[in-house]
Amino acid sequence: MIYDLIIIGGGPGGITAGIYAARKKLKTLLITKEWGGQVIKANEIENWPGTKKISGTDLIKQMTEHLKKFEIEIKEGKEVIDLDKKGDNFFVRDNDQEYEAKAVILATGKIPRTLNIPGEEEFKGKGVSFCATCDAPLFKDKEVAVIGGGNAGFDTAMDLVKYAKKIYVLEFLEEMKGDPITKEKLAQTGKVEFITNVAVKAIKGKKPAPYRAEGSGSGFVESLIYEDRKTSEDHEIKIDGVFISIGMMPKVGFAQKLVELNKIGEIVIDKDNYTKTPGVFAAGDITDIKYEQIVIAAGEGAKAALAATEYLKNK
Amino acid sequence: MVRVFSTPSCPYCAALKSFLKEHNIEFKDIDVAQDLEAQKEMIEKSGQYEVPVVDIDGEIIVGFNQERIKQLLKI
Repeated sequence: MIYDLIIIGGGPGGITAGIYAARKKLKTLLITKEWGGQVIKANEIENWPGTKKISGTDLIKQMTEHLKKFEIEIKEGKEVIDLDKKGDNFFVRDNDQEYEAKAVILATGKIPRTLNIPGEEEFKGKGVSFCATCDAPLFKDKEVAVIGGGNAGFDTAMDLVKYAKKIYVLEFLEEMKGDPITKEKLAQTGKVEFITNVAVKAIKGKKPAPYRAEGSGSGFVESLIYEDRKTSEDHEIKIDGVFISIGMMPKVGFAQKLVELNKIGEIVIDKDNYTKTPGVFAAGDITDIKYEQIVIAAGEGAKAALAATEYLKNK
Repeated sequence: MVRVFSTPSCPYCAALKSFLKEHNIEFKDIDVAQDLEAQKEMIEKSGQYEVPVVDIDGEIIVGFNQERIKQLLKI
């Protein structure tokens, strides 16, 4: 089976591309690990035209219901790990299967940036968290570190001060980049210690127990090693949790062979959503367009689907 | 019995709960930000400092793992 179009990603860009492609009667497959992406984390959205106020979860629910009304094949819960080109066609692979298409749209958006240090992946969910709004209440009376002294890191620390007894905010640069007013609020709690000029080197703990093992109460984060960039000395701080808030990165690894990336890893596109490989289109936060908004990602998804339709017609 | 361990501000918890409601699955919603006993139980049983956690007849699922939940609830 050869699809006309495979759309990768289930945020506003991918969903809108799906709606447009289905209405153009393209034989389309949409593959996504989850629905909504970053939108799910928005509690209140007040700039989606036609809807005065809506939660991210509800908006995405409406979008996916709308999408599923059309004739389109969908694979949910699947992560694409590779995209390649052989001859004229494209091959998209997830962990189980390979799919073939004449054109693809990349709309996998952005995910939280990782540190890529020992222990980070190993202790994910075992003290390492990327979602303070979710997990902060689990660290009541515990000591935690927030990595990143920008506004995202400060917001994370604000979520944590309600629960944790001590919070270290660690920043790579010489100064905290977040708003001074928030810094002051954090300082006033008496719980927050700011440390600048540090490179976090490792997250340590007892070896985690196997996933879902009965009584696996051990195997959590116990400490963190950072280097003081001025003295080059290593320090260890005892903590129970590490919240990583160092911004977002495009989820583009699987497609790297076929696209050009800018300095911050975003896919370079032209005004019609073409990437450097004809037949490969991209839309939304994964691209180098400047503004990252739901309505823009949706619009870009529509553009990409229309461009793909035209590309297929002229092929 | 289905139990959901969640926190009030967690978007994945909200998504999970509305998914269960949509499929008419009855569940007990436990706010682990308030109920610290339940929080302890959740961390011990799941081995994770992470919400949401679902307990389906003793089977523990971490995160909004739609496929696994569908499988266990046969929906």
